[in-house]
Amino acid sequence: MDYSSKHSKLLQFIFLLVVFLLLCQFIVPSENNFLWRFPPLIKDLPFLINDTVEYFMFEWMPIEIYDPEIEEFEKSPLIQEVTRAISGAMLFFIELIREIFIGGVKTIVAFTSWDFVSENKWARWPALPWTVVAGGAVLLGYKLQGKGLAILASFSTIYISVFGQWEPAMETLSFVLIAAPISFFLGLALGVWSYKSKKVEATLNPLLNVAQTMPHFSYIVPIMVFFGVGDHAGAIATIIFATPPMVRLTLLGLKRVSPEVLEAGMMSGCNNFQLMFKVLIPTARRDILIGVNQVIMQCLAMAVIASFIGAKGLGFNLLLALNGLRIGQALEQGICIVLIAVLLDKMSLAWANKKIDYFADLSFLERHKFSLLFLAIFLVSTILAYIGTFFFKEGFNYLYIVPHNKGITAETFLQAGVDWVWDTFFFSLKAFNVFLIQQVLMPMKAAYLSMPVAATFVLTMGIGYIVGGIRSALIVGGFLLFIALTEWWDRALITAYMLTFGVIVSGIIGMTLGSLCAQNKLTSKIIILACDTFQTFPSFIYLIPVIMLFGVTDTSVLIAVIVFATIPATRYTVEGLNNVPPSLNDAGLMSGVTRIQRWSKIQLPLAFPHMMLGINQTVVFALFMVIIGAMIGTDDLGQFILKALSDKNGVGNGLTLGLCVAFIGLAVDQIIRTWANERKQILGIA
Amino acid sequence: MYTIKRTVGAIVAGIILAFSAGSISAADSSSPIVIPTHNWSSQVVMAYVVGGIFESMGNNVEYKSADSQAVYEAIRIGDVTISHEVWQSSFGKSFYNAMAKGGVIDAGSHSAPTLEEMGVPTWVIDKGLCPGLPNWEALKNCHKAFATADSGGKGRWLEGPQSWHGQLMPDRINALGLDSKYVVKFAGGADALWAELASAKKEGRATIIFNWTPNFTDAEGFTFIEFPEYTDGCRKADGGDGSCGSPKGWLKKAANYKFPKTHPAAYTAFSRMSFSTQDIGQMAALVDIDKMTHKDAAKKWLADHGDVWKPFTQAGM
Amino acid sequence: MSSQIEVEQNKQPVIQCDSVYKIFGENANKMLQSSKGEVDAKIFQDAGCVVGVNNASFEVYKGDLLVVMGLSGSGKSTLLRCISRLTDATAGNIYIDGQDLIAMSNKKLIELRRNKMGMVFQSFALLPHKTVLENIAFPLQIRGNSTEESINRAMEMVKLVVLEGRENYFPRQLSGGQQQRVGIARSLAVEPDIWFLDEPFSALDPLIRKEMQDEFLRLQSVLNKTILFVTHDFHEALRLADRIAIMKDGIIEQLDTPADIVLNPATEYVRKFTEDVPREKVLKIESVMDALDSSEELSDLKVSKDAIIETVAEEVLGQEKPVAVIDSNKKVVGVLHRSHVIKVLFGGRGTLE
Repeated sequence: MDYSSKHSKLLQFIFLLVVFLLLCQFIVPSENNFLWRFPPLIKDLPFLINDTVEYFMFEWMPIEIYDPEIEEFEKSPLIQEVTRAISGAMLFFIELIREIFIGGVKTIVAFTSWDFVSENKWARWPALPWTVVAGGAVLLGYKLQGKGLAILASFSTIYISVFGQWEPAMETLSFVLIAAPISFFLGLALGVWSYKSKKVEATLNPLLNVAQTMPHFSYIVPIMVFFGVGDHAGAIATIIFATPPMVRLTLLGLKRVSPEVLEAGMMSGCNNFQLMFKVLIPTARRDILIGVNQVIMQCLAMAVIASFIGAKGLGFNLLLALNGLRIGQALEQGICIVLIAVLLDKMSLAWANKKIDYFADLSFLERHKFSLLFLAIFLVSTILAYIGTFFFKEGFNYLYIVPHNKGITAETFLQAGVDWVWDTFFFSLKAFNVFLIQQVLMPMKAAYLSMPVAATFVLTMGIGYIVGGIRSALIVGGFLLFIALTEWWDRALITAYMLTFGVIVSGIIGMTLGSLCAQNKLTSKIIILACDTFQTFPSFIYLIPVIMLFGVTDTSVLIAVIVFATIPATRYTVEGLNNVPPSLNDAGLMSGVTRIQRWSKIQLPLAFPHMMLGINQTVVFALFMVIIGAMIGTDDLGQFILKALSDKNGVGNGLTLGLCVAFIGLAVDQIIRTWANERKQILGIA
Repeated sequence: MYTIKRTVGAIVAGIILAFSAGSISAADSSSPIVIPTHNWSSQVVMAYVVGGIFESMGNNVEYKSADSQAVYEAIRIGDVTISHEVWQSSFGKSFYNAMAKGGVIDAGSHSAPTLEEMGVPTWVIDKGLCPGLPNWEALKNCHKAFATADSGGKGRWLEGPQSWHGQLMPDRINALGLDSKYVVKFAGGADALWAELASAKKEGRATIIFNWTPNFTDAEGFTFIEFPEYTDGCRKADGGDGSCGSPKGWLKKAANYKFPKTHPAAYTAFSRMSFSTQDIGQMAALVDIDKMTHKDAAKKWLADHGDVWKPFTQAGM
Repeated sequence: MSSQIEVEQNKQPVIQCDSVYKIFGENANKMLQSSKGEVDAKIFQDAGCVVGVNNASFEVYKGDLLVVMGLSGSGKSTLLRCISRLTDATAGNIYIDGQDLIAMSNKKLIELRRNKMGMVFQSFALLPHKTVLENIAFPLQIRGNSTEESINRAMEMVKLVVLEGRENYFPRQLSGGQQQRVGIARSLAVEPDIWFLDEPFSALDPLIRKEMQDEFLRLQSVLNKTILFVTHDFHEALRLADRIAIMKDGIIEQLDTPADIVLNPATEYVRKFTEDVPREKVLKIESVMDALDSSEELSDLKVSKDAIIETVAEEVLGQEKPVAVIDSNKKVVGVLHRSHVIKVLFGGRGTLE
């Protein structure tokens, strides 16, 4: 039965392929032939979106507001006032945290006025000496977990300070400390809500899908129109990106709580609130904590893009360094971002896992030992900082704040490394590059562009049908129809070509690497750590070296894509293989299989559905990077999204293009997910 | 309804007036002037220079990083107060789009004449990789020298991102009859252009890229190609055939429409501000060559060149 | 204990079920109405409904230990959940201490659970993020008791279930038996009157299960709760119960004392369970004694009528003469012949019926 159904699927695929090729052969490429290209029926959609947004933002429900600065009454639309109020509130908190770390006047201004601050020069919030923050972080690490975390905290803070990245790092930190908790609570709330209501879950699901697959550049302009420019706008863009995984994992965790635990809560007399917050959420913590980890990783991964709309800090400086081709400096800043991510992640985990001791009968000193220690650190550091003013005469007090780019730097060293790579590999790579472009990429791109739209639909919907029946076929078809009716179909085909190439190569590399590393506990651990690091390491950094080695070509874009998209392929392969029940491995061992056999006959088939979900994530990551590839120079949808930043109807264009990209991702997602779920059910590991 | 709004407005006004009482008679509001920083050195240094000038006049200043295209929308809405580097060719479109929607005003130009044009690194000419350059006619015979792997045997022009000038360069190639010999590739950003310059130099390969002056590349030597002269309306977008080069361009300053009212003195100074090619080159060199931080570079420039900027701030000039 | 039941027979039952139905499925209500109480599982199944509990009526009195026994899918756990209102019954009435459970407001229900009910679960259902102590204190803290009070009370419970020294362990660090001790301690922390146990020992090893059953009997002898105990293990039911309700396909096939069930199985289904039950382990002397015959010469040995046969068999068989049977007031109420004991021990069911 299994054999015959497999067989029939294979036949179906062959039949589909034949039809596809025939269609490609016989449809005439002409502008008027709608089988070749659909007419762009919804090309006015961007204008419509744009006009609607602008109407609501700039015209709807105007209220009169007096502007004291110009002593005139002005009409200001309601929505603008509302979004500005939200922006203001967020900005206040970001500034508050920032000024605690590095000083400033904004918080004082919020309670008084700029005049007050201008007239009273004493009205400034002084920065904490960096030693206080560093000491505090170490102490917190020790309190939460112990020596290990304390060492990590001290290494991170000292690195950041000594390398002269203190101020930008604190700027980045301050906006992450706002964005991450908001994403966390928002995600938790939405997750809980969708747990409680099937309707909410059903409505939220597509929105989350779109939010996760839509390229950031496409919603940068809308955010700016709604919320303005600044750290808060960066934080909002970050929240949009970081919340969906939190919602997903919360829902997953809650659904996995055993019904008996829920009943135990009810029988303990919990009301709904207690049931949710004392029983369900704590029990689902394993998944929720993975959500927290994802939120933090995503927040820091957004540091660079957030600087496009005004977020200060490491991201902006990194972009600036790259623009001056100072790759060494950019690397140092990238490492700072990774360190902050790792430290925050570990601290939040440790905090969530803390135990309470009810029977400890402690003296006052013991109970307040950490507060007292912090006070001591504060005093000692302040005194040191004060003494420092006598030692460091050039105006930089290294015991207070190491000024930006005034610390030690390994830039020349790193730069030399980059140059060495360049000198050593350039010419051999060039031959490879020329070969790849002329023999593989150009023909592939041409092939994609020569597909008649009807053939594309037959192929994709056909695959959808074979994998998941009529429903999948219609969903896939619906997504593609939207793209086909815009005027960007050809661009989407180019995106699809790069996506295909990137996913195939990343998939092969990732699965091979993952399989090799999963053979051993230690290597598994190392590779997962590497995945975490590369996920937060700002992808922009390798764009420049790649351009220098491969020029402004598709090769450069694809290499950046592959470096990034290999992460999930590897991670899921390792996880999938490690999750194969040990009893099955033992059974295999007892029947005398070799290592290779064990891998190919036992582990791989069982881990395959999970690995396919990895490929699914690989598609998402690859798509993300293909779009970022527009920063290198592409002629696909990404370039148009970048262009939308300056378009007159940028909001509409950006959002529509973003949807096109998201829909490509979702169409692929639909097919892979359906397939993987079906396999899982067959294997009984759903 | 209207009266209610008025009353509410008046009350709000009253409260705010009470807070800001001291400054109403003074010339400039004390609320900060928001200056954008983009991702290239000279712009960031100049942001701190302009900010330093405002501060010397007693104003509060705030810097916000922003995308260089998206910033005009931000100025229009009022989140950013000014832009001190509006390059005609790259940002003219965004600038005029925002101006058309209302909210952005033109605050005059810098004296630096700018040129934004396709060109080659000077060593390409010195090495004789394409004899006859910088005259554009020379391109007809040496497209092979500019070919790349993905250009299909044609020579490649590396343009800036499409957001800068849209179809301008492809139109020009067609109009000049170069379309059988050249293609245009859009780079993703300025850094891609500089990376191409660096790698071409290392390789000793000829390359045509879009570039502008004043820029830090001036120091290394960069020669712009001489296309047929620009005349009004010669571009395809303006109804011409497109067979012309770029004009000697302007480098404008933009401001939010409220700026002259809220900070009259600062606005006057801003509209007078005019930096020359030399000034901009000096600012960029402090960072790109002397490796100073942007803030330090601005401080040093302000300290060394008081004769240039002090006059902007003096009334009655 | 059964004597106590008789005493309190006139009193109000602690739990009272009147024609309780639980039908799963979309149009359960409609189906039930049209069937007028005559529920046929087959017909319902064809209509997409699953019958969980079918017309259950019974009472449980204070201090009574009712065991609901049935195989998986028999509806025993569903019945338990109807009575604890973890699920709402489709039809019928349930009274707890005379209060209508089904009409009860949410607020009152929470009050009831916080003060009167405790429940033990098959999979222990401990909160993984809380220590032993915190798990036990959980219902108290939910009720709003102060932390100190809750922790102190929880510590008492730790002692009651003999887990001293492990109060700061997390559930994952405990064995199954220990985890269930925590579950028991948690369910008893609020000093409930009614104690629900849903297959509490099913997930444990046979040896541990025996130990836990002893532990349970010890606790019950001290606490004397009103208990509803669900199990699929007939031997466990016999061992623990005052009365047993045997369920099949949602219907209570028979509700009786262990002895009566073994001696008089009401249906073929019940009889199958009783077939290989060693009678001496179930039957009390009472069920095999004869009426007192003054002509008979009795041995010196006297046995209680409530004693399980197995426990006294050796002594009785050692006597040459019949043995006197006495009640709790030491009054002789009957006489026990060796032949009857031998029959119970070595077969020959017929004579007993």
